[in-house]
Amino acid sequence: MKKFVSWLVELDRILRGDATRVVDLKDGSIRISLGGVSLVLVLLGMTYGLCMGVFALVTSDNRMQMVASAVKVPALFVLTLLVTLPSLYVFNALVGSRLTVASLVRLFVAALAVNLAVLASLGPIIAFFALSTISYSFIVLLNVVIFTVSGVAGLAFLLQTLHRLNIAPRIVRLAASTAPAPPPVPPVTGEPAAAAESWQVPAEGTALDHIGQAQVDQSQVVEAQAVDEDAGPLDEIEGYALGRHTKLIFDCWIILFGLVGAQMSWVLRPFIGSPAVPFQWLRPRGSNFFEAVLDAVRSLFS
Amino acid sequence: MTSLLLRADDVLRRRLRTERAAPKDIAWLAALIAAFGMFYGGLMGSYGGMWGPAALQMVYGAVKVPILLLATFALSLPSFFVLNSLAGLRSDFVPAVRALAATQAGLAVILASLAPFTLLWYASVGHYQAAIFFNALMFTVASVSAQVILRFHYQPLIRRNANHRWMLRAWFVVYAFVGIQMGWVLRPFIGDPGSPVQFFRSESWGNAYVIVAHMMWRLLFP
Repeated sequence: MKKFVSWLVELDRILRGDATRVVDLKDGSIRISLGGVSLVLVLLGMTYGLCMGVFALVTSDNRMQMVASAVKVPALFVLTLLVTLPSLYVFNALVGSRLTVASLVRLFVAALAVNLAVLASLGPIIAFFALSTISYSFIVLLNVVIFTVSGVAGLAFLLQTLHRLNIAPRIVRLAASTAPAPPPVPPVTGEPAAAAESWQVPAEGTALDHIGQAQVDQSQVVEAQAVDEDAGPLDEIEGYALGRHTKLIFDCWIILFGLVGAQMSWVLRPFIGSPAVPFQWLRPRGSNFFEAVLDAVRSLFS
Repeated sequence: MTSLLLRADDVLRRRLRTERAAPKDIAWLAALIAAFGMFYGGLMGSYGGMWGPAALQMVYGAVKVPILLLATFALSLPSFFVLNSLAGLRSDFVPAVRALAATQAGLAVILASLAPFTLLWYASVGHYQAAIFFNALMFTVASVSAQVILRFHYQPLIRRNANHRWMLRAWFVVYAFVGIQMGWVLRPFIGDPGSPVQFFRSESWGNAYVIVAHMMWRLLFP
Protein backbone atom coordinates (compact mmCIF):
# COMPACT_ATOMS: atom_id res chain seq x y z
CA MET A 1 0.00 0.00 0.00
CA LYS A 2 2.85 2.35 0.94
CA LYS A 3 4.52 1.55 -2.38
CA PHE A 4 1.33 2.38 -4.24
CA VAL A 5 1.07 5.72 -2.46
CA SER A 6 4.68 6.46 -3.38
CA TRP A 7 3.85 5.76 -7.04
CA LEU A 8 0.92 8.17 -6.82
CA VAL A 9 3.29 10.74 -5.37
CA GLU A 10 5.59 10.12 -8.36
CA LEU A 11 2.68 10.74 -10.72
CA ASP A 12 2.04 13.97 -8.83
CA ARG A 13 5.69 14.96 -9.23
CA ILE A 14 5.41 14.42 -12.98
CA LEU A 15 2.25 16.52 -13.20
CA ARG A 16 3.72 19.39 -11.22
CA GLY A 17 6.88 19.40 -13.28
CA ASP A 18 9.13 18.36 -10.37
CA ALA A 19 10.30 15.26 -12.26
CA THR A 20 11.33 17.26 -15.31
CA ARG A 21 13.32 20.20 -13.89
CA VAL A 22 16.26 20.89 -16.17
CA VAL A 23 18.83 20.26 -13.40
CA ASP A 24 17.38 16.80 -12.74
CA LEU A 25 17.58 15.80 -16.39
CA LYS A 26 21.35 16.22 -16.73
CA ASP A 27 21.93 12.43 -16.75
CA GLY A 28 19.83 12.23 -19.89
CA SER A 29 16.92 10.41 -18.30
CA ILE A 30 13.86 11.18 -16.19
CA ARG A 31 14.21 9.73 -12.72
CA ILE A 32 10.95 7.87 -12.24
CA SER A 33 10.08 4.37 -11.14
CA LEU A 34 9.17 2.82 -14.49
CA GLY A 35 7.14 -0.09 -13.13
CA GLY A 36 5.27 1.99 -10.58
CA VAL A 37 4.29 4.79 -12.93
CA SER A 38 3.30 2.24 -15.60
CA LEU A 39 0.97 0.53 -13.12
CA VAL A 40 -0.59 3.86 -12.14
CA LEU A 41 -1.17 4.83 -15.76
CA VAL A 42 -2.80 1.46 -16.52
CA LEU A 43 -5.14 2.06 -13.55
CA LEU A 44 -5.95 5.59 -14.77
CA GLY A 45 -6.72 4.17 -18.21
CA MET A 46 -8.96 1.50 -16.70
CA THR A 47 -10.82 4.17 -14.70
CA TYR A 48 -11.57 6.12 -17.84
CA GLY A 49 -12.52 2.90 -19.67
CA LEU A 50 -15.07 2.15 -16.95
CA CYS A 51 -16.54 5.65 -17.30
CA MET A 52 -16.75 5.16 -21.09
CA GLY A 53 -18.57 1.86 -20.61
CA VAL A 54 -21.28 3.46 -18.44
CA PHE A 55 -23.16 4.47 -21.61
CA ALA A 56 -23.60 0.86 -22.74
CA LEU A 57 -24.64 -0.12 -19.20
CA VAL A 58 -27.37 2.50 -19.13
CA THR A 59 -28.69 2.24 -22.70
CA SER A 60 -28.46 -1.51 -23.38
CA ASP A 61 -27.81 -3.04 -19.92
CA ASN A 62 -24.49 -4.26 -21.25
CA ARG A 63 -21.98 -4.89 -18.44
CA MET A 64 -19.32 -6.46 -20.67
CA GLN A 65 -18.63 -3.18 -22.45
CA MET A 66 -17.36 -1.63 -19.21
CA VAL A 67 -14.92 -4.52 -18.78
CA ALA A 68 -13.88 -4.40 -22.42
CA SER A 69 -13.27 -0.64 -22.36
CA ALA A 70 -11.36 -0.87 -19.07
CA VAL A 71 -8.96 -3.26 -20.82
CA LYS A 72 -8.88 -1.43 -24.15
CA VAL A 73 -8.07 2.13 -23.01
CA PRO A 74 -4.67 1.21 -21.50
CA ALA A 75 -4.07 -1.14 -24.44
CA LEU A 76 -4.75 1.70 -26.89
CA PHE A 77 -2.01 3.84 -25.37
CA VAL A 78 0.52 1.02 -25.01
CA LEU A 79 0.01 -0.07 -28.62
CA THR A 80 0.25 3.52 -29.90
CA LEU A 81 3.51 3.87 -27.95
CA LEU A 82 4.91 0.69 -29.50
CA VAL A 83 3.99 1.84 -33.00
CA THR A 84 5.41 5.36 -32.68
CA LEU A 85 8.45 4.88 -30.42
CA PRO A 86 10.86 3.68 -33.14
CA SER A 87 10.15 6.70 -35.34
CA LEU A 88 10.56 9.13 -32.44
CA TYR A 89 13.91 7.58 -31.58
CA VAL A 90 15.05 7.88 -35.19
CA PHE A 91 13.91 11.49 -35.61
CA ASN A 92 15.42 12.45 -32.30
CA ALA A 93 18.74 10.84 -33.27
CA LEU A 94 18.67 12.67 -36.62
CA VAL A 95 18.41 16.05 -34.93
CA GLY A 96 21.51 15.26 -32.93
CA SER A 97 20.20 14.06 -29.59
CA ARG A 98 22.17 11.62 -27.43
CA LEU A 99 19.15 9.99 -25.80
CA THR A 100 19.08 6.20 -25.55
CA VAL A 101 16.07 3.99 -26.17
CA ALA A 102 15.77 3.40 -22.41
CA SER A 103 15.52 7.09 -21.61
CA LEU A 104 13.02 7.58 -24.44
CA VAL A 105 10.85 4.79 -23.00
CA ARG A 106 10.90 6.58 -19.62
CA LEU A 107 10.02 9.82 -21.35
CA PHE A 108 7.15 8.17 -23.17
CA VAL A 109 5.83 6.58 -19.97
CA ALA A 110 5.93 9.97 -18.22
CA ALA A 111 4.10 11.58 -21.16
CA LEU A 112 1.47 8.82 -21.14
CA ALA A 113 1.06 9.37 -17.40
CA VAL A 114 0.23 13.04 -18.10
CA ASN A 115 -2.11 12.04 -20.93
CA LEU A 116 -3.97 9.48 -18.82
CA ALA A 117 -4.12 11.76 -15.76
CA VAL A 118 -5.94 14.42 -17.80
CA LEU A 119 -8.15 11.70 -19.31
CA ALA A 120 -9.05 10.16 -15.96
CA SER A 121 -9.79 13.60 -14.47
CA LEU A 122 -12.40 14.10 -17.21
CA GLY A 123 -13.85 10.63 -16.51
CA PRO A 124 -16.54 11.85 -14.07
CA ILE A 125 -17.81 14.28 -16.70
CA ILE A 126 -18.08 11.56 -19.34
CA ALA A 127 -19.83 9.27 -16.85
CA PHE A 128 -22.32 12.03 -16.00
CA PHE A 129 -23.14 12.61 -19.67
CA ALA A 130 -23.35 8.85 -20.29
CA LEU A 131 -25.87 8.56 -17.45
CA SER A 132 -28.02 11.38 -18.67
CA THR A 133 -28.05 11.08 -22.45
CA ILE A 134 -29.25 8.49 -24.96
CA SER A 135 -27.55 10.07 -27.96
CA TYR A 136 -24.77 7.72 -29.13
CA SER A 137 -23.32 10.27 -31.59
CA PHE A 138 -23.02 12.87 -28.83
CA ILE A 139 -21.12 10.52 -26.54
CA VAL A 140 -18.81 9.50 -29.38
CA LEU A 141 -18.01 13.11 -30.22
CA LEU A 142 -17.55 14.08 -26.57
CA ASN A 143 -15.07 11.24 -26.15
CA VAL A 144 -13.20 12.36 -29.27
CA VAL A 145 -12.93 15.87 -27.80
CA ILE A 146 -11.74 14.57 -24.43
CA PHE A 147 -9.15 12.24 -25.98
CA THR A 148 -7.92 15.13 -28.14
CA VAL A 149 -7.55 17.48 -25.16
CA SER A 150 -5.67 14.89 -23.10
CA GLY A 151 -3.59 13.94 -26.14
CA VAL A 152 -2.54 17.56 -26.61
CA ALA A 153 -1.49 17.79 -22.96
CA GLY A 154 0.51 14.55 -23.19
CA LEU A 155 2.23 15.57 -26.41
CA ALA A 156 3.06 19.04 -25.13
CA PHE A 157 4.69 17.40 -22.10
CA LEU A 158 6.57 14.93 -24.32
CA LEU A 159 8.04 17.56 -26.58
CA GLN A 160 8.88 20.04 -23.85
CA THR A 161 10.61 17.34 -21.79
CA LEU A 162 12.43 16.01 -24.86
CA HIS A 163 13.70 19.50 -25.49
CA ARG A 164 14.79 19.84 -21.84
CA LEU A 165 16.49 16.42 -21.90
CA ASN A 166 18.48 17.51 -24.91
CA ILE A 167 19.61 20.86 -23.48
CA ALA A 168 20.07 19.80 -19.84
CA PRO A 169 23.56 18.24 -20.05
CA ARG A 170 24.83 21.38 -21.76
CA ILE A 171 23.31 23.81 -19.25
CA VAL A 172 24.53 21.92 -16.20
CA ARG A 173 28.03 21.40 -17.61
CA LEU A 174 28.38 25.12 -18.32
CA ALA A 175 27.04 26.09 -14.92
CA ALA A 176 29.65 23.85 -13.28
CA SER A 177 32.63 25.39 -15.06
CA THR A 178 34.19 28.48 -13.42
CA ALA A 179 35.64 30.13 -16.52
CA PRO A 180 33.29 31.43 -19.21
CA ALA A 181 32.91 28.80 -21.95
CA PRO A 182 34.88 29.56 -25.14
CA PRO A 183 32.69 29.91 -28.23
CA PRO A 184 32.30 26.43 -29.75
CA VAL A 185 33.79 25.69 -33.19
CA PRO A 186 31.09 25.34 -35.84
CA PRO A 187 31.09 21.85 -37.39
CA VAL A 188 32.40 21.50 -40.92
CA THR A 189 31.49 17.86 -41.51
CA GLY A 190 27.76 18.16 -40.70
CA GLU A 191 27.78 14.93 -38.66
CA PRO A 192 24.83 14.94 -36.23
CA ALA A 193 26.95 13.78 -33.28
CA ALA A 194 29.43 16.64 -33.66
CA ALA A 195 26.63 19.09 -34.42
CA ALA A 196 25.02 18.39 -31.05
CA GLU A 197 28.08 19.83 -29.28
CA SER A 198 27.79 23.17 -30.98
CA TRP A 199 25.29 25.78 -29.91
CA GLN A 200 26.20 28.25 -32.64
CA VAL A 201 24.53 28.22 -36.02
CA PRO A 202 27.43 27.30 -38.34
CA ALA A 203 28.42 29.67 -41.09
CA GLU A 204 27.77 27.14 -43.90
CA GLY A 205 24.65 25.65 -42.37
CA THR A 206 24.26 21.90 -42.06
CA ALA A 207 21.43 19.77 -43.40
CA LEU A 208 19.78 19.74 -39.97
CA ASP A 209 19.60 22.48 -37.35
CA HIS A 210 20.75 21.90 -33.80
CA ILE A 211 18.76 21.90 -30.63
CA GLY A 212 18.95 25.54 -29.49
CA GLN A 213 20.44 28.36 -31.47
CA ALA A 214 21.46 30.92 -28.84
CA GLN A 215 25.13 31.24 -28.01
CA VAL A 216 25.33 30.31 -24.38
CA ASP A 217 27.26 32.20 -21.77
CA GLN A 218 27.42 31.57 -18.06
CA SER A 219 25.07 34.33 -16.91
CA GLN A 220 22.35 33.03 -19.24
CA VAL A 221 22.81 29.52 -17.85
CA VAL A 222 22.40 30.59 -14.23
CA GLU A 223 19.35 32.61 -15.21
CA ALA A 224 17.88 29.60 -17.02
CA GLN A 225 18.19 27.52 -13.88
CA ALA A 226 16.47 30.20 -11.83
CA VAL A 227 13.70 30.55 -14.43
CA ASP A 228 13.11 26.80 -14.29
CA GLU A 229 12.30 26.86 -10.55
CA ASP A 230 8.68 27.98 -10.85
CA ALA A 231 8.02 26.68 -14.35
CA GLY A 232 5.44 23.99 -14.93
CA PRO A 233 6.22 20.89 -17.01
CA LEU A 234 4.75 22.49 -20.14
CA ASP A 235 6.46 25.89 -19.85
CA GLU A 236 9.17 26.88 -22.32
CA ILE A 237 12.68 27.43 -20.97
CA GLU A 238 13.76 30.94 -21.87
CA GLY A 239 16.76 31.44 -24.09
CA TYR A 240 16.67 27.99 -25.65
CA ALA A 241 14.52 28.04 -28.75
CA LEU A 242 14.07 24.99 -30.94
CA GLY A 243 15.79 25.08 -34.34
CA ARG A 244 13.47 25.59 -37.29
CA HIS A 245 14.01 22.14 -38.79
CA THR A 246 13.77 20.45 -35.40
CA LYS A 247 10.41 22.09 -34.85
CA LEU A 248 9.25 20.98 -38.27
CA ILE A 249 10.28 17.38 -37.62
CA PHE A 250 8.49 17.29 -34.28
CA ASP A 251 5.39 18.96 -35.73
CA CYS A 252 5.26 16.20 -38.35
CA TRP A 253 5.75 13.60 -35.64
CA ILE A 254 2.84 15.06 -33.62
CA ILE A 255 0.54 14.71 -36.62
CA LEU A 256 1.79 11.15 -37.08
CA PHE A 257 1.12 10.32 -33.41
CA GLY A 258 -2.37 11.78 -33.66
CA LEU A 259 -3.19 9.78 -36.79
CA VAL A 260 -1.83 6.53 -35.32
CA GLY A 261 -3.73 7.07 -32.06
CA ALA A 262 -6.97 7.83 -33.87
CA GLN A 263 -6.76 4.87 -36.21
CA MET A 264 -5.62 2.55 -33.38
CA SER A 265 -8.76 3.54 -31.47
CA TRP A 266 -10.78 2.60 -34.56
CA VAL A 267 -9.04 -0.77 -34.84
CA LEU A 268 -9.72 -1.52 -31.16
CA ARG A 269 -13.39 -0.46 -31.30
CA PRO A 270 -15.95 -0.61 -29.79
CA PHE A 271 -15.11 1.48 -26.70
CA ILE A 272 -18.58 2.87 -26.08
CA GLY A 273 -20.91 0.32 -27.64
CA SER A 274 -23.62 1.40 -30.04
CA PRO A 275 -27.06 0.50 -28.63
CA ALA A 276 -28.08 -0.66 -32.13
CA VAL A 277 -25.44 -3.43 -32.29
CA PRO A 278 -24.93 -6.39 -29.89
CA PHE A 279 -21.74 -6.57 -27.79
CA GLN A 280 -18.53 -7.73 -29.49
CA TRP A 281 -14.95 -7.59 -28.23
CA LEU A 282 -13.75 -6.29 -31.59
CA ARG A 283 -15.69 -5.24 -34.66
CA PRO A 284 -14.71 -6.44 -38.13
CA ARG A 285 -12.50 -4.23 -40.30
CA GLY A 286 -14.15 -1.51 -42.31
CA SER A 287 -14.31 2.26 -42.73
CA ASN A 288 -11.99 4.42 -40.63
CA PHE A 289 -11.91 6.76 -37.66
CA PHE A 290 -12.37 10.02 -39.56
CA GLU A 291 -15.33 8.82 -41.59
CA ALA A 292 -16.98 7.61 -38.38
CA VAL A 293 -16.52 11.00 -36.69
CA LEU A 294 -18.04 12.77 -39.71
CA ASP A 295 -20.99 10.36 -39.60
CA ALA A 296 -21.47 11.09 -35.91
CA VAL A 297 -21.50 14.86 -36.54
CA ARG A 298 -24.03 14.41 -39.35
CA SER A 299 -26.36 12.23 -37.28
CA LEU A 300 -26.14 14.64 -34.34
CA PHE A 301 -27.73 17.38 -36.41
CA SER A 302 -30.26 15.38 -38.40
CA MET B 1 -27.67 30.98 11.65
CA THR B 2 -26.03 34.32 12.52
CA SER B 3 -22.59 33.04 11.62
CA LEU B 4 -23.97 31.90 8.25
CA LEU B 5 -25.31 35.39 7.55
CA LEU B 6 -22.06 36.97 8.71
CA ARG B 7 -20.07 34.69 6.41
CA ALA B 8 -22.41 35.56 3.56
CA ASP B 9 -21.69 39.22 4.25
CA ASP B 10 -17.94 38.51 4.22
CA VAL B 11 -18.27 36.87 0.81
CA LEU B 12 -20.16 39.83 -0.65
CA ARG B 13 -17.75 42.37 0.77
CA ARG B 14 -14.77 40.27 -0.42
CA ARG B 15 -13.21 40.04 3.03
CA LEU B 16 -10.47 37.51 2.39
CA ARG B 17 -8.81 35.60 5.20
CA THR B 18 -5.19 34.41 5.08
CA GLU B 19 -4.28 31.72 2.61
CA ARG B 20 -3.72 29.24 5.43
CA ALA B 21 -7.41 29.53 6.36
CA ALA B 22 -8.43 28.61 2.81
CA PRO B 23 -9.39 24.92 3.36
CA LYS B 24 -11.78 25.80 6.22
CA ASP B 25 -13.16 28.64 4.14
CA ILE B 26 -14.01 26.24 1.33
CA ALA B 27 -16.13 24.14 3.71
CA TRP B 28 -18.00 27.25 4.84
CA LEU B 29 -18.52 28.40 1.28
CA ALA B 30 -20.01 25.01 0.35
CA ALA B 31 -22.43 25.42 3.29
CA LEU B 32 -23.38 28.90 2.03
CA ILE B 33 -24.03 27.56 -1.48
CA ALA B 34 -26.26 24.84 -0.02
CA ALA B 35 -28.20 27.11 2.36
CA PHE B 36 -28.85 30.05 0.05
CA GLY B 37 -29.36 27.75 -2.94
CA MET B 38 -32.06 25.89 -0.98
CA PHE B 39 -33.74 29.20 -0.18
CA TYR B 40 -33.95 30.30 -3.80
CA GLY B 41 -34.78 26.81 -5.07
CA GLY B 42 -37.64 26.47 -2.64
CA LEU B 43 -39.16 29.78 -3.68
CA MET B 44 -38.54 28.98 -7.35
CA GLY B 45 -40.74 25.93 -7.00
CA SER B 46 -43.62 27.92 -5.53
CA TYR B 47 -44.94 28.77 -9.01
CA GLY B 48 -47.66 26.14 -8.80
CA GLY B 49 -48.72 27.29 -5.36
CA MET B 50 -47.43 27.20 -1.79
CA TRP B 51 -50.13 24.87 -0.49
CA GLY B 52 -51.53 21.56 -1.57
CA PRO B 53 -49.86 18.93 -3.76
CA ALA B 54 -48.05 21.51 -5.92
CA ALA B 55 -46.11 22.63 -2.84
CA LEU B 56 -44.01 19.48 -3.21
CA GLN B 57 -42.28 21.26 -6.08
CA MET B 58 -40.89 23.72 -3.51
CA VAL B 59 -39.20 20.86 -1.68
CA TYR B 60 -37.84 19.47 -4.94
CA GLY B 61 -36.57 22.91 -5.97
CA ALA B 62 -34.90 23.41 -2.58
CA VAL B 63 -33.02 20.15 -3.06
CA LYS B 64 -32.16 20.66 -6.71
CA VAL B 65 -30.55 24.12 -6.80
CA PRO B 66 -27.76 23.20 -4.33
CA ILE B 67 -27.23 19.92 -6.20
CA LEU B 68 -27.02 21.82 -9.48
CA LEU B 69 -24.35 24.18 -8.13
CA LEU B 70 -22.35 21.73 -6.01
CA ALA B 71 -22.46 18.72 -8.37
CA THR B 72 -21.35 20.81 -11.34
CA PHE B 73 -18.52 22.19 -9.21
CA ALA B 74 -17.48 18.71 -8.07
CA LEU B 75 -17.52 17.26 -11.60
CA SER B 76 -15.39 20.08 -12.97
CA LEU B 77 -12.84 20.02 -10.15
CA PRO B 78 -10.66 16.96 -11.04
CA SER B 79 -9.77 18.25 -14.50
CA PHE B 80 -9.17 21.74 -13.03
CA PHE B 81 -6.73 20.15 -10.58
CA VAL B 82 -4.77 18.28 -13.26
CA LEU B 83 -4.65 21.27 -15.64
CA ASN B 84 -3.49 23.60 -12.85
CA SER B 85 -0.71 21.15 -11.97
CA LEU B 86 0.44 20.95 -15.58
CA ALA B 87 0.40 24.74 -15.84
CA GLY B 88 2.75 24.98 -12.85
CA LEU B 89 0.05 26.45 -10.58
CA ARG B 90 -0.18 23.70 -7.96
CA SER B 91 0.95 25.90 -5.08
CA ASP B 92 -1.96 28.25 -5.83
CA PHE B 93 -4.55 25.49 -6.16
CA VAL B 94 -6.31 25.87 -2.80
CA PRO B 95 -6.61 29.69 -3.08
CA ALA B 96 -7.90 29.21 -6.65
CA VAL B 97 -10.59 26.77 -5.48
CA ARG B 98 -11.50 29.13 -2.67
CA ALA B 99 -11.90 31.95 -5.22
CA LEU B 100 -14.21 29.80 -7.35
CA ALA B 101 -16.19 28.59 -4.32
CA ALA B 102 -16.53 32.20 -3.10
CA THR B 103 -17.95 33.16 -6.49
CA GLN B 104 -20.49 30.33 -6.34
CA ALA B 105 -21.42 31.26 -2.78
CA GLY B 106 -21.79 34.88 -3.88
CA LEU B 107 -24.04 33.73 -6.71
CA ALA B 108 -26.23 31.79 -4.27
CA VAL B 109 -26.45 34.75 -1.85
CA ILE B 110 -27.30 37.20 -4.64
CA LEU B 111 -29.91 34.79 -6.01
CA ALA B 112 -31.50 34.51 -2.58
CA SER B 113 -31.68 38.31 -2.41
CA LEU B 114 -33.49 38.33 -5.78
CA ALA B 115 -36.09 35.77 -4.62
CA PRO B 116 -38.68 38.43 -3.61
CA PHE B 117 -38.67 39.67 -7.24
CA THR B 118 -39.38 36.15 -8.43
CA LEU B 119 -42.30 35.85 -6.01
CA LEU B 120 -43.72 39.16 -7.19
CA TRP B 121 -43.38 37.97 -10.80
CA TYR B 122 -45.21 34.72 -9.99
CA ALA B 123 -48.00 36.74 -8.34
CA SER B 124 -48.29 39.08 -11.34
CA VAL B 125 -47.74 36.97 -14.45
CA GLY B 126 -49.46 33.63 -15.08
CA HIS B 127 -47.54 32.16 -18.07
CA TYR B 128 -45.26 29.20 -17.41
CA GLN B 129 -42.86 30.27 -20.18
CA ALA B 130 -42.66 33.74 -18.63
CA ALA B 131 -41.79 32.14 -15.27
CA ILE B 132 -38.94 30.19 -16.91
CA PHE B 133 -37.72 33.35 -18.61
CA PHE B 134 -37.75 35.36 -15.36
CA ASN B 135 -35.84 32.73 -13.42
CA ALA B 136 -33.28 32.50 -16.21
CA LEU B 137 -32.96 36.28 -15.95
CA MET B 138 -32.41 36.10 -12.18
CA PHE B 139 -29.75 33.42 -12.60
CA THR B 140 -28.05 35.57 -15.25
CA VAL B 141 -28.08 38.69 -13.08
CA ALA B 142 -26.66 36.71 -10.14
CA SER B 143 -23.93 35.08 -12.30
CA VAL B 144 -22.83 38.37 -13.81
CA SER B 145 -22.80 40.12 -10.43
CA ALA B 146 -20.82 37.30 -8.86
CA GLN B 147 -18.02 37.92 -11.38
CA VAL B 148 -17.05 40.96 -9.27
CA ILE B 149 -16.15 38.57 -6.45
CA LEU B 150 -14.27 36.27 -8.85
CA ARG B 151 -12.25 39.10 -10.30
CA PHE B 152 -11.30 40.35 -6.84
CA HIS B 153 -10.07 36.97 -5.65
CA TYR B 154 -8.31 36.01 -8.88
CA GLN B 155 -6.40 39.28 -9.46
CA PRO B 156 -3.56 38.47 -7.00
CA LEU B 157 -3.29 34.97 -8.49
CA ILE B 158 -3.08 36.30 -12.04
CA ARG B 159 -0.48 38.83 -10.95
CA ARG B 160 1.59 35.96 -9.56
CA ASN B 161 1.32 33.88 -12.71
CA ALA B 162 -0.44 34.74 -15.98
CA ASN B 163 -1.33 31.06 -16.59
CA HIS B 164 -4.14 31.54 -14.07
CA ARG B 165 -6.03 33.51 -16.69
CA TRP B 166 -6.01 30.50 -19.02
CA MET B 167 -7.07 28.19 -16.20
CA LEU B 168 -9.99 30.47 -15.44
CA ARG B 169 -11.10 30.36 -19.07
CA ALA B 170 -10.82 26.56 -19.11
CA TRP B 171 -12.87 26.46 -15.88
CA PHE B 172 -15.65 28.57 -17.44
CA VAL B 173 -15.84 26.33 -20.49
CA VAL B 174 -15.95 23.06 -18.52
CA TYR B 175 -18.29 24.45 -15.81
CA ALA B 176 -20.75 25.89 -18.33
CA PHE B 177 -20.67 22.70 -20.42
CA VAL B 178 -21.42 20.46 -17.46
CA GLY B 179 -23.77 22.97 -15.78
CA ILE B 180 -26.07 23.30 -18.78
CA GLN B 181 -26.54 19.53 -18.96
CA MET B 182 -26.92 19.31 -15.18
CA GLY B 183 -29.65 21.97 -15.28
CA TRP B 184 -31.42 20.08 -18.08
CA VAL B 185 -31.22 16.73 -16.29
CA LEU B 186 -32.45 18.12 -12.96
CA ARG B 187 -35.53 19.81 -14.39
CA PRO B 188 -38.23 20.65 -13.55
CA PHE B 189 -37.23 23.43 -11.18
CA ILE B 190 -40.38 25.49 -11.52
CA GLY B 191 -43.00 22.91 -12.42
CA ASP B 192 -45.29 23.11 -15.43
CA PRO B 193 -48.78 23.44 -13.96
CA GLY B 194 -50.06 21.19 -16.78
CA SER B 195 -47.78 18.28 -15.75
CA PRO B 196 -47.75 16.25 -12.54
CA VAL B 197 -45.28 17.17 -9.80
CA GLN B 198 -42.21 14.97 -10.35
CA PHE B 199 -38.57 15.06 -9.27
CA PHE B 200 -37.34 14.25 -12.79
CA ARG B 201 -39.12 14.51 -16.13
CA SER B 202 -38.40 10.94 -17.15
CA GLU B 203 -40.01 11.09 -20.59
CA SER B 204 -37.79 13.99 -21.61
CA TRP B 205 -34.56 12.49 -20.23
CA GLY B 206 -32.04 13.61 -22.75
CA ASN B 207 -29.23 15.81 -23.72
CA ALA B 208 -29.52 19.60 -23.73
CA TYR B 209 -26.97 19.94 -26.52
CA VAL B 210 -28.53 17.36 -28.83
CA ILE B 211 -31.92 19.02 -28.40
CA VAL B 212 -30.50 22.47 -29.12
CA ALA B 213 -28.57 21.08 -32.13
CA HIS B 214 -31.80 19.55 -33.50
CA MET B 215 -33.66 22.82 -32.92
CA MET B 216 -30.94 24.80 -34.72
CA TRP B 217 -30.94 22.33 -37.64
CA ARG B 218 -34.71 22.57 -38.00
CA LEU B 219 -34.50 26.35 -37.88
CA LEU B 220 -31.81 26.54 -40.55
CA PHE B 221 -33.12 23.73 -42.76
CA PRO B 222 -36.93 23.54 -42.29
